[in-house]
Amino acid sequence: MQKLIRRVFTKSPLGANNDGPPDLDEMFKDLKNKVDNLFTTNPKNINGSGGNQKPTNINDGPGNIKILPIFIVVILIWMATGFYIVDQGSRGVVLRFGENTEVTQPGPRWHIPYPIETAEIVNQEQVRTIEVGYRSGGGGTSQELRESLMLTGDENIIDLQFAVQYNLKSVQDFIFNNRAADSSVRGASETAIREIVGKSKMDFVLYEGREEIAVKTKELMQDILDLYKTGINITSVTMQNAQPPEQVQASFDDAVKAKQDLERQKNEGQAYANDIVPKATGTASRLIAEADGYKVSVENESLGNASRFSQILAEYLRAPEVTKNRLFLEAQEQIMSSVSKVIVDQKGSNSLIYLPLDKLINKSSSSLNNNQLDKSQASSGSVRDVVNSITDRSRGTFRARDRDVR
Amino acid sequence: MKKLSSILFIVIPIIVILSLSTFTVDQREHALVFRLGEIVSVKDKPGLYFKVPLVDNVRFFDKRILTYNSTQPDRFITSEKKNVLVDSYIKWRIIDPAKYYVSVNGDEQQAERRLTQTVNDGLRAEFGKRTIQEVVSGQRSEIMGILQKRADRDSRQIGIEILDVRLRRVDLPKEVSESVYQRMVAERKSVANQLRSQGFAESEKIRAEAEKQRDIIITNAYKDAQIIKGKGDAIAAKVYAEAFSKNKEFYDFYRSLEAYKKSFNGKDDILVLDPDSDFFKYLRSPNKK
Repeated sequence: MQKLIRRVFTKSPLGANNDGPPDLDEMFKDLKNKVDNLFTTNPKNINGSGGNQKPTNINDGPGNIKILPIFIVVILIWMATGFYIVDQGSRGVVLRFGENTEVTQPGPRWHIPYPIETAEIVNQEQVRTIEVGYRSGGGGTSQELRESLMLTGDENIIDLQFAVQYNLKSVQDFIFNNRAADSSVRGASETAIREIVGKSKMDFVLYEGREEIAVKTKELMQDILDLYKTGINITSVTMQNAQPPEQVQASFDDAVKAKQDLERQKNEGQAYANDIVPKATGTASRLIAEADGYKVSVENESLGNASRFSQILAEYLRAPEVTKNRLFLEAQEQIMSSVSKVIVDQKGSNSLIYLPLDKLINKSSSSLNNNQLDKSQASSGSVRDVVNSITDRSRGTFRARDRDVR
Repeated sequence: MKKLSSILFIVIPIIVILSLSTFTVDQREHALVFRLGEIVSVKDKPGLYFKVPLVDNVRFFDKRILTYNSTQPDRFITSEKKNVLVDSYIKWRIIDPAKYYVSVNGDEQQAERRLTQTVNDGLRAEFGKRTIQEVVSGQRSEIMGILQKRADRDSRQIGIEILDVRLRRVDLPKEVSESVYQRMVAERKSVANQLRSQGFAESEKIRAEAEKQRDIIITNAYKDAQIIKGKGDAIAAKVYAEAFSKNKEFYDFYRSLEAYKKSFNGKDDILVLDPDSDFFKYLRSPNKK
């Protein structure tokens, strides 16, 4: 490599040799001489034995002057290859003959060029992400069933998808301790999540324990990666999805629905209770109020009736006969004036008379007239009956009762 | 010009000789120096080393932790004679490059084959002693610990240290998975049924409780109402008794009249009368009989 560079540069400056300032030429000449002396100590002391070198020094004066700048330029270029820039968030790891000597911070840096030192730039702070159980990209996500399906402690299978984010806490560890340290993260994440899920019950993983699973997985992953001294720092483990496998999804949904049904039924029951209990309270209040009203009204009635009776009694005692008759007639009057009447003369006749009472009732309710039947029509009959009510008909006969209004 | 070529003539051979007679050992590598096929030295420390050109030969081996991922899951049988598919990875490191070179010829794949055999033997033994339940949850880390120790002991003979053996996946074969799914479905069904019945039960309980309360409230109120009414009736009876007992005979008469008035008070009532009755006595003649 260096030989090549030297050849390239030895040719190009040849044409421009006279353009160089004489001062510099002079200076280089001095230097050149010194270098020549270094290289050609032998030829100076023992003339002729140096062979080629000595004669060239003498004959090609201008040629001598040209070699030194070329040499220096080559050295400078070689030195320049030692510059490198460490980006923000990255670290430069410098190796001298394969041994790590320093870790450089961001900024322009220089190391002794190859082959003595080499530098590797590693991004330390960049957050890297791996996806387990799915792959996103290309606008959608695709599932990786082999990764996402796992056994729980109660021997069920669940479908878990999560993402792991990490950066580096030690660049040296990251570079020197593991081959393909990055790929350790996936292995560690899979073994960790399965260990954690394997110790948990399915319902816990699916519902209340999702966060806890993520936290525990993160801790376990970190432990595993620390064991390998990868220098990797897990920043987060985020559950993307935790669900039962597709095959059993429907029945899980149904179970969730059943839970809601339970709540709904409870609520309906409660609604019913909230409906009838207050109503019952209302009914109760009504009963009490009615009873109160009844009590007062009965009392008042009794007091009123008693008082009325007492007053009439006082008058009655003063003139018993007249008062009694008067009361009797007044009552008769009141009754007779309001009711329908049938007057039957039954003396001297034993045969039954026909009284179409139901018709009479209908008639009486429709027309006010025609209440009195002719005496002659009801010519015979020995029954002395007062029909109080229609219900008496059920007895089948009008005989046998004396209920005189007297 | 000749000067230049003469310098090149000197410098180039020097560089060539230097590059042939030195070698760098990286921090990440072991180096084995062979002299005509015989291992003469092991370079563990990083740095610049010299060798005899053409005679000495150097081979480098990775010093870092290497990972072996099993290419496909292997089938193992648990103590309850169930098959499980196990995927594992091994973290290993070359600690003795000389031994390593001698035993596996420095070939990583060959080394990995040996490691797999050892680990699989261990897995077979450990799984055969345990149930799926234990393998999956309870004793997972224990198994991994045993496997690591066992494999480590074995592999040290070939210059390898086993840092870790981890079960990545422990899965059920497809046909077993199907039956697991069926069981899960059945379980969910029973849970769903239970929840629904429970819902019905709780709803009924709430309703019955409410109805009970309703009945209690209403009957209590009825009881109180009857007590109140009874009190009223009692007072009324007392008042009547006091008033009416003043003249029993007149009371009978008076009360009867009241009752008649109340009983016959509409057109719907029909009285069938005998003209002989007292009421009509003056209808027949002005003089009383």
